[in-house]
Amino acid sequence: MQLIERIPVYYRRQLGTLLGLLGLILIFWIMTPYFLTPSNLLNIARQTSINAIIAIGLTFVIIAGGIDLSVGSMLAFAGVVTAGALNLGIPILGSMIIGISVGFLCGAVNGVLIAWGHLPPFIATLGMMSIARGAALLFTGGRPISGFSVSFRFLAEGDFLSLPIPVYIMIGLYVVGHFVLTRTKIGRYAYAIGGNEEAAVLSGVPVKIYKLIIYGISGALSGIAAILLTARLNSAQPIAGIMYELDAIAAAVIGGTSLMGGEGLLIGTLIGALIMGVLRNGLNILGISSFIQQTIIGTVIILAVLIDMFLKRRKK
Amino acid sequence: MIGFKRITLFVLILFLIMLNVNCQRRRSVTEDRETVAFVMKTLNNPFFIDMQRGAEKAADSLRVKLIVQAAEREVDVEKQLQIIENLIQRRVSAICVTPSGSRELIAGVVKANLAKIPVLIVDTRIDVETLTESGGHFATFIGSDNVDGGRIAAKYIVERLNGNGNVAVLEGIPGHETGDARLKGFWEAINENPRIRVVASQTANWERDQGYNVFQNMLQANPQIDALFACNDMMALGAMEAIAAAGKTGDILVVGFDAVSDARKAIERGQMAASVAQHPYEMGFVAVKKAVEIIREKKVPKEIPITIELITREKM
Repeated sequence: MQLIERIPVYYRRQLGTLLGLLGLILIFWIMTPYFLTPSNLLNIARQTSINAIIAIGLTFVIIAGGIDLSVGSMLAFAGVVTAGALNLGIPILGSMIIGISVGFLCGAVNGVLIAWGHLPPFIATLGMMSIARGAALLFTGGRPISGFSVSFRFLAEGDFLSLPIPVYIMIGLYVVGHFVLTRTKIGRYAYAIGGNEEAAVLSGVPVKIYKLIIYGISGALSGIAAILLTARLNSAQPIAGIMYELDAIAAAVIGGTSLMGGEGLLIGTLIGALIMGVLRNGLNILGISSFIQQTIIGTVIILAVLIDMFLKRRKK
Repeated sequence: MIGFKRITLFVLILFLIMLNVNCQRRRSVTEDRETVAFVMKTLNNPFFIDMQRGAEKAADSLRVKLIVQAAEREVDVEKQLQIIENLIQRRVSAICVTPSGSRELIAGVVKANLAKIPVLIVDTRIDVETLTESGGHFATFIGSDNVDGGRIAAKYIVERLNGNGNVAVLEGIPGHETGDARLKGFWEAINENPRIRVVASQTANWERDQGYNVFQNMLQANPQIDALFACNDMMALGAMEAIAAAGKTGDILVVGFDAVSDARKAIERGQMAASVAQHPYEMGFVAVKKAVEIIREKKVPKEIPITIELITREKM
């Protein structure tokens, strides 16, 4: 107990999530010898990276009291545009910047609609979900764009010092994201807007501009995830990313980000994404029916939030 | 923060111990039975349920262990790739897969090759050119000739319409090899008959509800549709409901593909005219049987055709 009291209060919730993750690992470790092996752990890390990256953006948005349902569609649109750019012979870095910009712009449009158009985030991003999907289908004529250079595919399938490249990208983005969330204006204003928007406005926070930035960040991160997904499948599909928003929301929520806004940390989101990844991987390895898998994943999401609420109530 | 560090250290040590124990346990584990993994596109389509039943029958009679896994949604190739990666970690003896993407899944096949796990492609072809380029290979292909199936459907429609009429088409997901092949055969046969006009051709993404909506819209735009060819039965069944809602049951000749049990019932009742039958049960059965032969180092042919035929009311 004494040990726990030395941990800063705001990290305690994340400790609970971490224990949940370790519990899951322990269960799978007992049930199968194929789970806890170095190569499978790397496999899980690689598989988790795409969802984990999208979930960074969603954590920002949810902390600021919003929601973003359009990440999966923005991912598809950014992916096909990146692929189109690559096929035109634009260098990899240039194509990546184009793809990320497409994501950022879609996200910024969400921000404008929400901040200046006063649309509820649910509605604005629901609209964008359809618009970006349609744009991706139009851009490609409904067909996937495939066949890229080995160096582009290296982004998703390559290793450096025996760690997968997407894992470096994921960790890098989490470090930067954590810094932005805890040490910069963007982060502090996100908490302020999500905690009490009216108070934030009254204390002179330029709420509108920061909303635009926060939704833009979510779009840009979808763009980064799109690049990794395209490289991984060696193909950009206009129908990619359907329902990815729900996996990302689940990662954030399991990690302790409150859907009411004003509360959450990226460490929690990363652990949340890992819990989802570990669950899928372990259930596959055990050969459990895919129907039961979906039920189990749903149950875990509900349990995580129930426990969170229970702990909060007890604190009061 | 001392507590945090101490907990991290404790967790790390525990982790290393678990990893170590696991390695020793793995060495002592010897699977008593061969394990065949079967990765379906999805399990929300009766076609794949039939295939699963065939696979189970073969596994039972050959006394091998069977693991059936599928993505939640047919459009989610990335999940299918994850499942294959996870089963490779599980060290199954062979993997049968119905690819959700002809190019997108190649990374998974190559990984299985590296792990020396034979891969059997079932039902939907994989892009052989790209696969060879990536240095991958598969053991055998088990499936029907979909081009031929499309041709059979078109010839039937031409015959029933006496070579004159308006035809609508519901396509599968663009870029899916199965749907493309069916359409190719269909168009080949239709183009030989100049008085058959294809007035609308759109995708309903293989799904029943989309088949309903898309065909309802087609009927609005072209009230004079004489026949419909749907690239799978789910879309045909959806369209059938739209036809019933428009009070036109029996006026429009509906030809589906796959001859799933709901479609057979509809043919019996006269709501659908015909369906091209592939035999998913046989595909599943043969796939597992051949997988076991490959595991036991017998030679199998590079391609194993499964018969295809048109089911009509007269034939039932």
